[in-house]
Amino acid sequence: MAIVSIDPVTRIEGHLRIDVEVENGVVKDAWSSGTMFRGIEMLLKGKHPWDCQQVTERICGVCPLIHGTASSYALDDAMDVELPDNARIIRNLCLGGNYIQSHILHFYHLQALDYIDVTAVLNYSGVNPGLLALRSKIAGLAKANDLYFFLPRYESADYVGTPGGPGDANLATELVGHYVQALEMRKKAQEMISIFYGRMPSFVGTIPGGVTTKPTLMNIAAFQSRLTELRQWIDSIYVQDVLTVAEVPDYEPFFKAGDSGGNYLAYGGFDLDQKGTEKFLPRGTIFDNNVMDVKGMEEKEITESVQYSWYTPECEGLNPKYGKTDPDLEKKDAYSFLKAPRYQGKPMEVGPMARMLVKKPDLLVKLAQDKGLLTPPVKFGILPRTAARAIECKLVADAMADWLTQLDPSKPIWDPKGKEIPNESYGRGLVEGPRGALGHWIHINNEKTDNYQAVVPTTWNASPRDKEGNRGPVETSLIGLPVPDVDNPVNVVRCVRSFDPCLACAIHIIHPEHNGVKEFRVV
Amino acid sequence: MAGKTVSRRQFLKHAGATAALLGLSEVMIPQIAQALEELASGKPPVIWIQGQNCTGCSISLLNSNYPMVAELVLNDLSIRYHPNVMAAAGYTATDVLDESIKDLKGKYVLVVEGPVPTKEDGEFCTFGLQKGKTKDLMGNKVPADKTIHEWMKELVPPAAAVIAGGNCASFGGIPLANAGVTGATPVSKIVAEIDSEKPVVNIGGCPAHPDWITGTVLEALLFLKGKGKLNLNSHKMSRTFFGQLIHENCERRASFDAGLFLEDWNQDDPDMKLCMFKMGCKGPVTYADCPVRRWNSKVNWCVGASAPCHGCASPDFYKTLSPLYEPLPNVNFPGITPAVDTLGWVAAGATAVGVGAHYLYKQLGHKGEETGEGGEK
Repeated sequence: MAIVSIDPVTRIEGHLRIDVEVENGVVKDAWSSGTMFRGIEMLLKGKHPWDCQQVTERICGVCPLIHGTASSYALDDAMDVELPDNARIIRNLCLGGNYIQSHILHFYHLQALDYIDVTAVLNYSGVNPGLLALRSKIAGLAKANDLYFFLPRYESADYVGTPGGPGDANLATELVGHYVQALEMRKKAQEMISIFYGRMPSFVGTIPGGVTTKPTLMNIAAFQSRLTELRQWIDSIYVQDVLTVAEVPDYEPFFKAGDSGGNYLAYGGFDLDQKGTEKFLPRGTIFDNNVMDVKGMEEKEITESVQYSWYTPECEGLNPKYGKTDPDLEKKDAYSFLKAPRYQGKPMEVGPMARMLVKKPDLLVKLAQDKGLLTPPVKFGILPRTAARAIECKLVADAMADWLTQLDPSKPIWDPKGKEIPNESYGRGLVEGPRGALGHWIHINNEKTDNYQAVVPTTWNASPRDKEGNRGPVETSLIGLPVPDVDNPVNVVRCVRSFDPCLACAIHIIHPEHNGVKEFRVV
Repeated sequence: MAGKTVSRRQFLKHAGATAALLGLSEVMIPQIAQALEELASGKPPVIWIQGQNCTGCSISLLNSNYPMVAELVLNDLSIRYHPNVMAAAGYTATDVLDESIKDLKGKYVLVVEGPVPTKEDGEFCTFGLQKGKTKDLMGNKVPADKTIHEWMKELVPPAAAVIAGGNCASFGGIPLANAGVTGATPVSKIVAEIDSEKPVVNIGGCPAHPDWITGTVLEALLFLKGKGKLNLNSHKMSRTFFGQLIHENCERRASFDAGLFLEDWNQDDPDMKLCMFKMGCKGPVTYADCPVRRWNSKVNWCVGASAPCHGCASPDFYKTLSPLYEPLPNVNFPGITPAVDTLGWVAAGATAVGVGAHYLYKQLGHKGEETGEGGEK
């Protein structure tokens, strides 16, 4: 028996520590710990409600768009605005743009180095001039002993392109070439967002009641040209590369290994009408891998446990809207700044896998059938999670092309009611970010922000154990993974990264001793 | 660039790009080429660590347009440690830091993203493991966490220089707005406690513009090679990027002078370019080159999207500049306020607004301290 501690888990957002207990080369137990705390919501108390959107999007530099969007919806709700169609569509387009940049970034720049041997580029034997140039560049770096981006790493015999491993050097080089292309592609997605939102990250284009940039023929065309290029690249490169990696025989076990326990939750995202009754990504819950039986989602079923989190026992078992956050760094057995959100007491995986299982697009159904994922034991592990992200990227990008045609330059973009701050009001914004279900809640009192709460995707996924001892989804997913060499636990980080964790988002909570607010009520 | 395989000609080409990035005249190209050549024969390593950050500045750096990101990674900088992109994790990653501390004394540039918390012994931000120290994890003995403050104590003394990457590393930014909780402390203050002689350069911006990051790092590298001087304002920010008021170069300045203000977003005609002052624009008190540099490969910038500048490059962001969407305080000086009230004010011009900005700085709680304007030393 050995405990393997991994800190920092790199190629994610933020500060995450993973400890796994390994016995006979297999993970027997796992602990996921968030290790950084700022306290964002507290500073909003007493501030002008319009500030909330600008401050909360700075919870995270990878996902500013989804926080800003959730905040705008929460403020819309509090001001009781009628969101113009143009504003709803521009918000969907920019959020979609962030799905594209985030999903591309995740597959290539955060995840791919777990599967590809970059040094294989040195053995490239093809004739593609771009890849030959890449070979000489990498060769130069290797000669100068300057490959720190790629080495050292956890060693493993199953990297694509490793001598004796799967694939060959030419395939690995092609994938590394796409890694470089992807840098430019995700940048292009950011440029696309900035057309309507001013800049990325930390954008300025949404406000309570709508958006700031009017659609014009010029900016629609500028958006469309980038979207067209991105869609072609997603179809011909991104989705194909994910399928290529999925076809590597060595990775076959990763289709079912790394399953999070079979419970999934999606708030639903991309409103297709003003009230948000119809959503492009539907709302729903799935339990125990009964993927054909999608159930509803009731906010009141959400509670947060703090048994193993650095907070006092008084914070235990509350709905986040009534939640307390009272830190206790001396607490026995606590090991994370993350709370443990549960739905009907169960840990739930959120994110692209959850959304695609609720929506069931053809691409996913076909993959599940081809790979026997629906034959018992039904499980969706590391690779389906990665594939779901690519499939979702394609679906959203394709839908964006339709949404773009629905913009009407002659119609309004803003409901001025957004400027009328009520004396007292409550607002809520439930959305789906690239990493999963996100909720923002605001309470306005005396025309100022009285309380603000955000419950974010990584808190669901990377949560510690709850009061009943149930592990969080990431912890559960690690159990049973093979770790033949404890000095090179590559499978552990492959699994953790498949969730695309974002820790800055997950730990932003408030310190009640200083802000005096211990409860949050929503009527 | 790889070893010595790069030609003089390539250096000149690259130096041209660098001069453009830094906004320097072409006359400088030969000097820059020489300096770059010397750098390339032994690229100074960059170590990038993260405190109470949000990764926004790293993501922003990935939006770098010129040099392109791939060039940045493969040609320009030797990035030894960056938690978001490096292949290694766990000990495999932090061993790189330990080796650098031992083997690269006085040779690397340390970039810190996010401030450093000091309360509760710094436990509000940890990464990596303490060798030889354990803690309890549900009955198991596991290696103890290591705080960023401890890392700073080890990484700062051997560093050639320290760069605070972005507003919150430089000035505390969002995390400092409730510093009472975690003791979020600007990087320069932490460095001063460790080694008061160590050069520190601040980069503003929430996030920092990719050019501000690469440009400041390049300026620091050239300075360390004795090839250039650091022209910093009183906030230790490079005047190359933070030397001019946003308001002075704003594309909507004519609307301000003509008294044409946006008051309803539906009224905004994209061709009119209405001034955002009444919607809370902080351009008149913020020094940064956003209006000319623009963002995301020059596609747009905040005011270009008919939104007010929130002053995110200012040392005062966020707390002092709140409320973000309310006009700047109503003070009597020649310039801003009369312009709003009596439409058509034109005469005072840039100088008066410059004076106004300094005045406003004092109104915002600064005692005698001003951001330096371009050229003044």
